[in-house]
Amino acid sequence: MLKKNYNYKIKDLPESLKQFIGLIIITLIVIISFSILNGMFGEGDELVKRMKIEEERIAEERKLNKLISSLPSGILVTFDGTDHYKLTDEVYEQVCNATKLIPQRAIMGANFLNFRAHELYTINGNKIDETFVKWDQEKGKCFAGFTVSGNNVGVDESITISGEALSFLSTGIDTRVYFIKNF
Amino acid sequence: MEYLKKYPKLFQWLFLLVVFLALCFAIEVPETYKFIRGQAEFIKDPNQSVYFFLGKEVRYYAFDVFWRLPPLLGWLPIWINDSLFFLMNEWMPMEFWNEDTQEFKTRPLLLQISRNLTSFMTFLIELIREILLGGLETIVAFTSWDFIDAYPWLELPGLPWTIVAAGAAILSYKLSGKGLALFAGLTMIYISIFGQWKPSMQTLSFILVAAPLSFVFGLGLGIAAYKSKRVEKALYPILLVMQTMPQYAVLVPALVLFGVGDHAAVIITMVVAVPPMILLTILGLRAIPPEVIEAGRMSGCTNWQLMLKVLIPTARRDILIGVNQVIMVCFSMAVISAFIGAKGLGFNLLLALNQLNIGLALEAGLCISLIAILLDKMSLAWANKQTDYFGNLTFFQRNKNTIFFAGSVVIGIILAYIGTFIFKESFNYLFEVPHNKGISTADFWNKGVDWIFDTFFVYIKAFNTWLIVDVLQPMRALYLRMPAVATLVLAVGAGYIIGGIRSALVVSALTLFIALSPWWDRALVTLYMATFGVVISCLIGFSVGTLCFQNKKSAAFMLGVCDIFQTFPSFVYLIPVMMLFGITDTSVLIAVIVYATIPATRYTIEGLRSVPVGLHEAATMSGVNKFQRLTKIEFPLAFPHMMLGLNQTIVFALFMVIIGAFIGTEDLGQYILKALSDKNGAGIGLTLGICVAFIGLIFDNLIRTWVNQRKKHLGIA
Repeated sequence: MLKKNYNYKIKDLPESLKQFIGLIIITLIVIISFSILNGMFGEGDELVKRMKIEEERIAEERKLNKLISSLPSGILVTFDGTDHYKLTDEVYEQVCNATKLIPQRAIMGANFLNFRAHELYTINGNKIDETFVKWDQEKGKCFAGFTVSGNNVGVDESITISGEALSFLSTGIDTRVYFIKNF
Repeated sequence: MEYLKKYPKLFQWLFLLVVFLALCFAIEVPETYKFIRGQAEFIKDPNQSVYFFLGKEVRYYAFDVFWRLPPLLGWLPIWINDSLFFLMNEWMPMEFWNEDTQEFKTRPLLLQISRNLTSFMTFLIELIREILLGGLETIVAFTSWDFIDAYPWLELPGLPWTIVAAGAAILSYKLSGKGLALFAGLTMIYISIFGQWKPSMQTLSFILVAAPLSFVFGLGLGIAAYKSKRVEKALYPILLVMQTMPQYAVLVPALVLFGVGDHAAVIITMVVAVPPMILLTILGLRAIPPEVIEAGRMSGCTNWQLMLKVLIPTARRDILIGVNQVIMVCFSMAVISAFIGAKGLGFNLLLALNQLNIGLALEAGLCISLIAILLDKMSLAWANKQTDYFGNLTFFQRNKNTIFFAGSVVIGIILAYIGTFIFKESFNYLFEVPHNKGISTADFWNKGVDWIFDTFFVYIKAFNTWLIVDVLQPMRALYLRMPAVATLVLAVGAGYIIGGIRSALVVSALTLFIALSPWWDRALVTLYMATFGVVISCLIGFSVGTLCFQNKKSAAFMLGVCDIFQTFPSFVYLIPVMMLFGITDTSVLIAVIVYATIPATRYTIEGLRSVPVGLHEAATMSGVNKFQRLTKIEFPLAFPHMMLGLNQTIVFALFMVIIGAFIGTEDLGQYILKALSDKNGAGIGLTLGICVAFIGLIFDNLIRTWVNQRKKHLGIA
């Protein structure tokens, strides 16, 4: 009975008012639908954090790229006594952080002093598993290294070689480790 | 409450506007939002969110949903691509006989159908091209290379330009009279002596294949839709979308299905040209009075006889208007399909625009426009021509045009033969003027462009800078600042106020499709450019139309100008604006304004003309002055018609904005252009095309609903 009365009341409302109420309802439906979707897909704060970290990383990378392009092309060293370009302590750290590549020359040089690594490297077709270049804050030195792994006469082996990165090669676009002192 | 009852719509609009603005101010731009990082970039970034749908991985930047909806339809382009790949490479493999290798070969069915269709189209194009320009491919198709070596005289010689020019003039004379004949003759002579004969004939051959095929398919489907409600219902949504779909977007899937070349261009032109033919066929058949149909049945006609002998001849005019529309669409596609390798004037125009050689582009553009105007006038004259069945004519009177044409063929051949002696050392100019040997005004125009730049550079640059910095950029920023929820509330609310719940649902579905696609930001940029163009076009169009309407001669003149401008392929509009404003957004917008002003002007004049004369007289008798008559009687009555003009203006503006991507805008058109050169671009191109079509359909739905209601209200429905 009560429901019937409400129905009549709604039917008796002026057309203009009914349309207005309809508009309000439709607006609310759209906003509520968005709220529900926001609960399902919204990633606002988390994304902001991630994006900020990403932006900082990009900014840092740009800074390092700028530094690299300002360095002369050729061999950059950390010690006196050669004709090569000598890095200051500060730039040494920056170059270390900017360097990602260890070319085959440096790897083969380091392998000279490690016979097993050299053997594993040549048997498995000069394959390198992973490389790393990192700055040691305590020692104030740059360390570079790589891991060779593979099968050596039926035995699976994995050897990691690391040492101080004493010189770098600057191509003008990037820098690469030129010599690893692993002795 | 009293005011609410008195002005209900006003209050509804105010409420909607308040909610929209409140949402815009309440929802802040997310810190991570950057336009360049829009979700359409399809790059891999660790910060992106990922979802899988139908086995497809979709990556996107997850913003606050109130700001931008996640691209839940991002799988659609990938799915379309994969489906096309499956259909073309894996679906229903069958054994087919290969003529070249003389053995059976396994091929997917659709690939085989596509290849057969492609060969058939290529054959038709080559046949007509060789009739016009000469060649031996057609003869070889029926014989062999050895055969043509043995009988080299069998090679098709092509038609001398003099014969084609005379033929065009005689046909025009038969259809319309001396004026059109003179225009046809001069057009053909211009094309020839300016060295545009070969590309013009290439374009013509492409149109002579596409237009008749489109006519046959359009007529067939139109009759089927007239006969069966089911067919009509099935065709209706496709026809609706195709009306607002940018022609550019259809090119991309065609590339995947039919490859690159004239054949693909013909097929895709048919896809675009068939819908207007279907619509006009249905319109023509529906307009036939029931008495005519009844009379046909009473005479004992079978269904086929009724259709062929009664209905089609009665609806002849509308059907021939359809032919006119087909030809116009074919011309606009002649340029656009140059993107997928169609040869001819369109290709030359595109090449010249790419090289920024405005002079050459102008020459090619002028040729296309002249041929388009000529064919437009010829087809309209054909549509309006009445056959005199009762004239008591002599043999010569009945066949004089054929006799004159036969005479011109003989004279043309003799002239071409004489030419072989006159131009012994060089080209036979009485047969064909080669492409680079005709008169060229390109240098003159290029120097003109340089002069314009040198003389007005400061002013043009100042105008450009002002428009971009003070008008366009703030406007773009405003559009991009609209949160998705606010835009959707505005669109759905507008739909509800104008057309009730049904219209609200349609508008909401169309808007949601775009909002859930990965190109919402780009759609907003497209919308901002189109809005700017539409506002200025309407201001110009309504003012010019109203002013011209005051005088019968000026109204007729302006309608004639609109007719001519409407026949120009849309690409041609880019030439003069590039001459003046270089490669900037300003150029695109000015091209949009010029192109979109045509329907605004035309519909204003026609709307004002549609006001009954009786009302004019009644108004004059009541003592109103001219201005009062215009504002109180003519405008309110013509307004529904003018709004249909606005609808057309929006569609025209959207088309031109998309074409403007060629200059380098950053809207949806740019992505369609990119998709053209991407081997996985079919899905993206098609989805983007649907997005643009839906923008047009949103406005179409709102405006048409409003117009129908308004007409009912005014009693002119």
